Amino acid sequence: MSDAQEAGGKKVTICFGFQDLETEAWVAAHKAIVEKLQSKGVKVLERNGNQDANKQLEQIRDAIAQGVDGFLIIPQDGQSALTIIGEANQAGVPIGIYNRPPADKSKPALVVVADNEKIAEDAVEYMAKEAKKLNRKMTPLILVGDLGDQNAIGRKNGFMKVINRNPKLFEKPIEVPTKWDAATTLANLEAAIQANPKVDFVFTSSDFLYPQIKAVLEPRGKWKPIGDPGHVILGGLDGDSRAWLWMKDGFVDATGVQDMIVEADMLIDALLKAIAKGDKTPEQWIGDPGFALTQENKDEMAKKMWGYLVLPEDKR
Amino acid sequence: MKALEQNRGLCLRVIDTLVRSDAFILVLTLGLFGILCVFYPGTGSVRNVTNLLSNAWPLLALVIGQMFVLIVGGIDLSQTAVMAFTSVVGGMIMTTRLDPALFAANSLWGTVLTEQGGPLSGSAWAAPAAIAAMLAGGGVIGLANGMAVTKGKMPPFMVTLIAMFFFGGLAIYATRSENIGNLPAGFVALGTGGACRITLERGTVVLLPYSLFVAAPLAMVAQVFLTRTIWGRWFYAVGINRQASQVSGVPTDKVTIAAYMLSGICAAVGSVLYTARLGNARPTLGEGMLLDIIAAAVIGGISLFGGRGKVSGALFGVLFFVLLSNALNQMNLSYYTVNIVKGAAIAVAAMLDGWRQRKT
Repeated sequence: MSDAQEAGGKKVTICFGFQDLETEAWVAAHKAIVEKLQSKGVKVLERNGNQDANKQLEQIRDAIAQGVDGFLIIPQDGQSALTIIGEANQAGVPIGIYNRPPADKSKPALVVVADNEKIAEDAVEYMAKEAKKLNRKMTPLILVGDLGDQNAIGRKNGFMKVINRNPKLFEKPIEVPTKWDAATTLANLEAAIQANPKVDFVFTSSDFLYPQIKAVLEPRGKWKPIGDPGHVILGGLDGDSRAWLWMKDGFVDATGVQDMIVEADMLIDALLKAIAKGDKTPEQWIGDPGFALTQENKDEMAKKMWGYLVLPEDKR
Repeated sequence: MKALEQNRGLCLRVIDTLVRSDAFILVLTLGLFGILCVFYPGTGSVRNVTNLLSNAWPLLALVIGQMFVLIVGGIDLSQTAVMAFTSVVGGMIMTTRLDPALFAANSLWGTVLTEQGGPLSGSAWAAPAAIAAMLAGGGVIGLANGMAVTKGKMPPFMVTLIAMFFFGGLAIYATRSENIGNLPAGFVALGTGGACRITLERGTVVLLPYSLFVAAPLAMVAQVFLTRTIWGRWFYAVGINRQASQVSGVPTDKVTIAAYMLSGICAAVGSVLYTARLGNARPTLGEGMLLDIIAAAVIGGISLFGGRGKVSGALFGVLFFVLLSNALNQMNLSYYTVNIVKGAAIAVAAMLDGWRQRKT
């Protein structure tokens, strides 16, 4: 019996519900998940929640009525993940939560999540090391994600750990809310840089916001490569292709990498095993340790970065 | 030959009668349901039908509210912001626990909000007080909209657009974009519980959700209001011809303000139901729902030009809309095509409805 067959030999059907495909990371995750499921012979029902928690909940309920064997969900946020897990538990359908964990562990689910705090901490630690070489006090700024998302909280915590460890190196950090939205980020970052023109150390909680950073820094003459006296020390987290290209070009100092592809593999394997065993409420938190890609280790580690791998070879 | 012409004439008369009927959209809905049952047998299952109906009741409350404003010749774009704002207000009042990591930066932290929750945390009155505050909040925003339209002589589109941005932004500011969880179990049951719970192969479902017991009386009151009271007749009169109504002694400003207040209150009712259903108050609640509300209203024969619309039309429009969404899920279309098909189906339904209106 293959992974993708239930005990009765019937072809397994999995509902893959995602909250949107706004960023390269989610597009890469979507591709990895659908391809992996299909390669296992699974029938995939795709549902796009369009960033609407209620719509996603209705889609989950409809899928239960359709008799799906399992759920693989990228939820809108940690709170809505809990509601959705509750629905799946109540119907006895095993559920896997991808990359964006539920707000707490009160309801059983398979969850795969990167160690956001540690990855962010490692990336920012490298940035701090570079900052120390400048022998001046830095003005740090963080683009904070939607704090209803545990990933955003972890990334902010990792950043703050490094800042707090180095009180002589850093001024009080400036926090810019983004809500994981490019337009919101651009508006808020413009205002923050206008009010704090001395900012020279920027960490974005997601790589997909690098273009907004460039759009704000460049007109002010602050978009300079590493080595230039006007260079703003820059880092982020996700590991997308733009982050890699701007690391290669010397604008980005470090970026945390979560492995979207391996995370998909680990979660799908666990979910299919649970379905094959007839386990209706499997519970397991699977960690993705990730790593920080820096200017120091990029030649060696880039090959493990998903954003590097999705690029055509001639563009890498 | 004559018999053929007679049959053709009979067919045309049947179609004409059907198209003129108020139940035209209901017939379309039942037809679609029947077709789906043939090709997707799961459509008619108990679980799917209960899903469909439980999706319909909260939306119906919103569409009834929009209907009041459309009838008087206005439009209320702020309904979704009312939902978000009142959701946050209610959540803040009744939440039983807040995470300092998420809320400590909030300007209300330490005064209104604490680690132990909102001001009425743990009180038996928490949920009723929160619901009352939500309804009052909706009414006040509606009052402000109505005043701006009538006394400020501002276009309804612009007034409610401003309200949408303002109160939507205020909801996000008040919570710093955080959802408020840990709502009282009794309140959450309003969105998740109900009467007549039955056990199926996969868990249980409720046949009569509590949201039905909220939306159905609301629909009945709206029906009586519009068809049995002088105010109801004034609503239609203002929508058909405002100046003529004014000359005839209809208090047009009061009618318009009342319409916006009713829309705000209905939006707050929707907010109560959706907040309870999701189990947390959300500053982005309903963010993508505005077009759903207006589409369901238009499909239900409620005119964007004012003076026309019925509660039954709102109900049929909502049923058609939720069935369409359900059908697209059943068809397992790629997410690339779902919105295209949905838009096309709505356009066809609206065109058919426009044709029907011209015929009548």
